[in-house]
Amino acid sequence: MQEPSLSTRDLTIRFGGHTAVNAVTCDFRPGELTVIVGPNGAGKTTYFNMISGQLSPSDGQVLKGGEDITSLSPSARAKKGVGRAFQLTNLFPRLSVIENIRLAVQAQSGDGRRFFKRVEALTELTDMAQHYLRATHLEAKADMQAALLPHGDQRKLEVALLMAMEPDIYMFDEPTAGMSLDHAPDVLNLIAEIKQDTTKTVLLVEHKMDVVRRLADRIIVLHNGELIADGDPGEVMSSQIVKDVYLGNAGEMA
Amino acid sequence: MNRALIVKIIALTVWGLLLFAPFLFQDVRQIEVAARICVFIVLVASYDLLIGYTGIVSFAHVMFFGFGAYGVAISMKHLGAGWGPWFLGLGAGVVVAAVMAVLIGLLSLRVKAIFFAMITLAAASVALVLASQLSSFTGGEDGMTYSVQSVFKPATKILTDAEGKVLQVAGVRMNGKVLLYYFVFAISAGLFWTMLRIVGSPLGTVLKAIRENEARAEGIGYRVVAYRTSVFLIAAVTAALAGGVYATWLKYTGPETTLSFAIMIDILLMVVIGGMGTMWGAVIGATLMVLAQYYLRDLMEVAAGATANIPLLPDLLSPDRWLLWLGLAFILLVYFFPAGIAGTIMEGRRK
Repeated sequence: MQEPSLSTRDLTIRFGGHTAVNAVTCDFRPGELTVIVGPNGAGKTTYFNMISGQLSPSDGQVLKGGEDITSLSPSARAKKGVGRAFQLTNLFPRLSVIENIRLAVQAQSGDGRRFFKRVEALTELTDMAQHYLRATHLEAKADMQAALLPHGDQRKLEVALLMAMEPDIYMFDEPTAGMSLDHAPDVLNLIAEIKQDTTKTVLLVEHKMDVVRRLADRIIVLHNGELIADGDPGEVMSSQIVKDVYLGNAGEMA
Repeated sequence: MNRALIVKIIALTVWGLLLFAPFLFQDVRQIEVAARICVFIVLVASYDLLIGYTGIVSFAHVMFFGFGAYGVAISMKHLGAGWGPWFLGLGAGVVVAAVMAVLIGLLSLRVKAIFFAMITLAAASVALVLASQLSSFTGGEDGMTYSVQSVFKPATKILTDAEGKVLQVAGVRMNGKVLLYYFVFAISAGLFWTMLRIVGSPLGTVLKAIRENEARAEGIGYRVVAYRTSVFLIAAVTAALAGGVYATWLKYTGPETTLSFAIMIDILLMVVIGGMGTMWGAVIGATLMVLAQYYLRDLMEVAAGATANIPLLPDLLSPDRWLLWLGLAFILLVYFFPAGIAGTIMEGRRK
């Protein structure tokens, strides 16, 4: 089996007396798409926030390729190849679509510090940005302000930003939330394409069962901040404990 | 027509007028106004880098302006009026501004915007108090007068005719005063052009990204604190250079001309009038505001004279009430141009 590209060791965060994520230990490997499921409030997004660095854990570690990245800032983690798309659309609203993507491209190429070269003169950056525009079917809207895009297109731009970062670890937090049925397949196809690359690790938080069935190589289940199931999709979905969680009576059992 | 182009044409027209100012406006006061506009364009544009592009609210901009001015002034006063002391003084002012900017930036750009604003306010107050109190060194409240490089003296003949007299071009004497104006103009134009390059560069896009969504900028790989500190440093050094140039032009430096909070308020108003985050707006804002400060009173005197026979109006139009009318004009401007003049003209394009 391949070495894990990303691991969490006893990852824990407490807000006051409440433990939102409790000692989650898990390995993720390249070429594997792991779907994280669990009811609302299970700690999925909080878990993501600790991996990408928006939150600092109370205990435990995050390892990227064996290196401890727990104390790094989000930008340092992004440079190490941990990329994250957000559940609530999180763009640069008054910049154009192409500018949004170019920002991610130049963050990756290290051109952000160039202060005397005209943006237009850096054609390589623009070409790369155009590439991701086409990949996400946004090329007709390149010059539109991100804030003025329809919701579905904003979600696609969110995915385009993540792709343009060219990370090793792709983290998607409900990428199709609130999208219409005709837009969602575009985003899912993009994720399926990323999955083809066996050097990439994909983590996906998702509720929709058809999406889970289509994409998942592996499913982990979070409930009340704890990892309660981990394994093959068919196995996990048919297990009694997961059924109980989704039927909502796990709390009574505990 | 492209709306951004309209703004550029207006701003470039202003720069064109400034270029020919010694020939177009031969009155001493008019050339004073032209030089002040040049310097304030730079000062306002560098402030726009902070407030308009990056979303940093600082009240210390006038302090950096003062560092540059006092550097030149102290050096020229105590070491003499050569180029050596000039470069030494300007260099010292710029270095002090740079060090202060990095210190304030690293220590406090992590905190919330309002705390950062307070810290800059405190630093600027300290600088103002120090300049007023250390009078043996800074001239205190009275400031300092000094002579500048001899090449900039009005008596210096820059171009001479066949008889060795100062050459006149289109009725303008080619003396040191004209040279000094072009010195101010060239440095101002060069600094403004540099800032245009910065906002059009990849760095400029990152600055806008930080203004728009700081957390996401960090999330895609930009160290926000480092970028903020860098732009704070760039703006501070630019302001210090502008201060040094202004001190050379005025041959006088004191708290009133380079450090007072009245100037900070002027800079804020100019940015808002011109349009935040537009860069070209700095030209429009600085020009309108400086013109109003110099000529509104004259205009009102004329208006009061013309309406002398009508009751009440002459009283309202009395030149003493110029601040009232400036305030009214400002309110109307903000009402009709909510994003500033340049900003509002450009915005139409996007809809």
